[in-house]
Amino acid sequence: MNLLRIIPSLLLSNKKLVKGTMFKNHKSAGNPITTTLAFENQGADEISIIDIDCYKKKDLEPDYNTLKEIAKFSTTPITFGGGVKNLTIAKKVIRAGAEKIYINRSILKNKEIINDLVKYFGGQAVVVGINLFKENNKYKIYEDIENKINLEKYILQIQEMGIGEIKIMFVDREGKKIGLDLEYCKYLNKIINVSCVFEGGIGSLDHLENAFDEGIKAISLGTMLIFCDYNIVKIKSHLLNRGYNIRL
Amino acid sequence: MKIGIIDYGAGNINSVYNSVYNLGYDPIIIKNQKDLKNIQKIIIPGVGSAFNSIKIFKEKNLFEEIKKIINTNIPILGICLGFQIFSRNLFEGGESNGWNLINAKVVPIDNPAIFNIGWCEVDIDKDLAINIGIKEKTNFYFCHSYFLDNINNQDRKFVLGYTTFKKKIPSLIIKSNFMGVQFHPEKSQSNGNKLLKYFLKWQPQ
Repeated sequence: MNLLRIIPSLLLSNKKLVKGTMFKNHKSAGNPITTTLAFENQGADEISIIDIDCYKKKDLEPDYNTLKEIAKFSTTPITFGGGVKNLTIAKKVIRAGAEKIYINRSILKNKEIINDLVKYFGGQAVVVGINLFKENNKYKIYEDIENKINLEKYILQIQEMGIGEIKIMFVDREGKKIGLDLEYCKYLNKIINVSCVFEGGIGSLDHLENAFDEGIKAISLGTMLIFCDYNIVKIKSHLLNRGYNIRL
Repeated sequence: MKIGIIDYGAGNINSVYNSVYNLGYDPIIIKNQKDLKNIQKIIIPGVGSAFNSIKIFKEKNLFEEIKKIINTNIPILGICLGFQIFSRNLFEGGESNGWNLINAKVVPIDNPAIFNIGWCEVDIDKDLAINIGIKEKTNFYFCHSYFLDNINNQDRKFVLGYTTFKKKIPSLIIKSNFMGVQFHPEKSQSNGNKLLKYFLKWQPQ
């Protein structure tokens, strides 16, 4: 069986790392190359990197050069995304040193790109990100302003297309250190049958334990690793001592 | 030593290149059959869909060339898809024929598709584990949904590593000059580096 995964979640902007709260107020969070290597040496199971500049400027392509620099020294699997709008860009991302391609906004209107990526790289290399936002006590996809997308249908559809992994982000919890919405994770886990990573809100060891107890297999951490007094060795040692199936 | 990493369009060439380079070697990227001249070691990376990747191998005339190399004593390392192509036939993205060094077929782990993404324990043959310098149960990084199934009796003895993920998955095979791994040594941190180091020094009998 797979071991539980702890995945640092890094946001790239103008060749630097940044981190914010609820997708806003991004603060500088260091050098992407040295930070990645530090997390690798601490025993990160994977690294997730998203270039957020591509969301602000529609025509921008991802920062391949920084990815290449990171990959030069890293022996940890990298998922890279932000601005992957077509197969040509995805090829460049894989070539630069990523193992998995993260797509999110580019497929909300047109899912065809999923077919292209699955056909070329295989589903195991395709990660679909879903940003969730709670409004009037109901979750919707953050970017779906008109609230037209039915989440359950959307998930079933992308799974049917052969993707290998889904990454759920609770936008309204990001950076707040209040834990995941475990009730909703439970509901999502019933629909999702591919590999799934959860992110958004985790800020303590208890949050992590509760999440793994709920059957979650992979967790992405931002604020907890970047702006708190935790590191992966500390987190994993704790989880190992508590008997969780994790690698150090 | 001339070490070649095969570029068939899809694979994570740079990741493999960097890992080998950081171990103190100077590999080259093989784009066509000319680059294969005087080659001493070959690595075929993973990350790709089988049908599409085999098509590219054929378009680049690399399919037949590598088939010839299988019958020499030049060591070959196949990673993930680069490992699966050494089986008889593959079913990802449509049926295609592999190099048929291992009499097995490559099929989905389960239906509907499930994905083995993450770190898994590999049960490794004791002697091999000692030679590589790792434990008999060692974690490596996996990222796949297809696996080598129905390995025939004659070839089963070449399987030196198994992983359990829903099924018993052959994850390390050594047959004559071929070493194949279902996991990604280039992305398995220090354990992966040990395996790559072993391959780079390996001289098959």
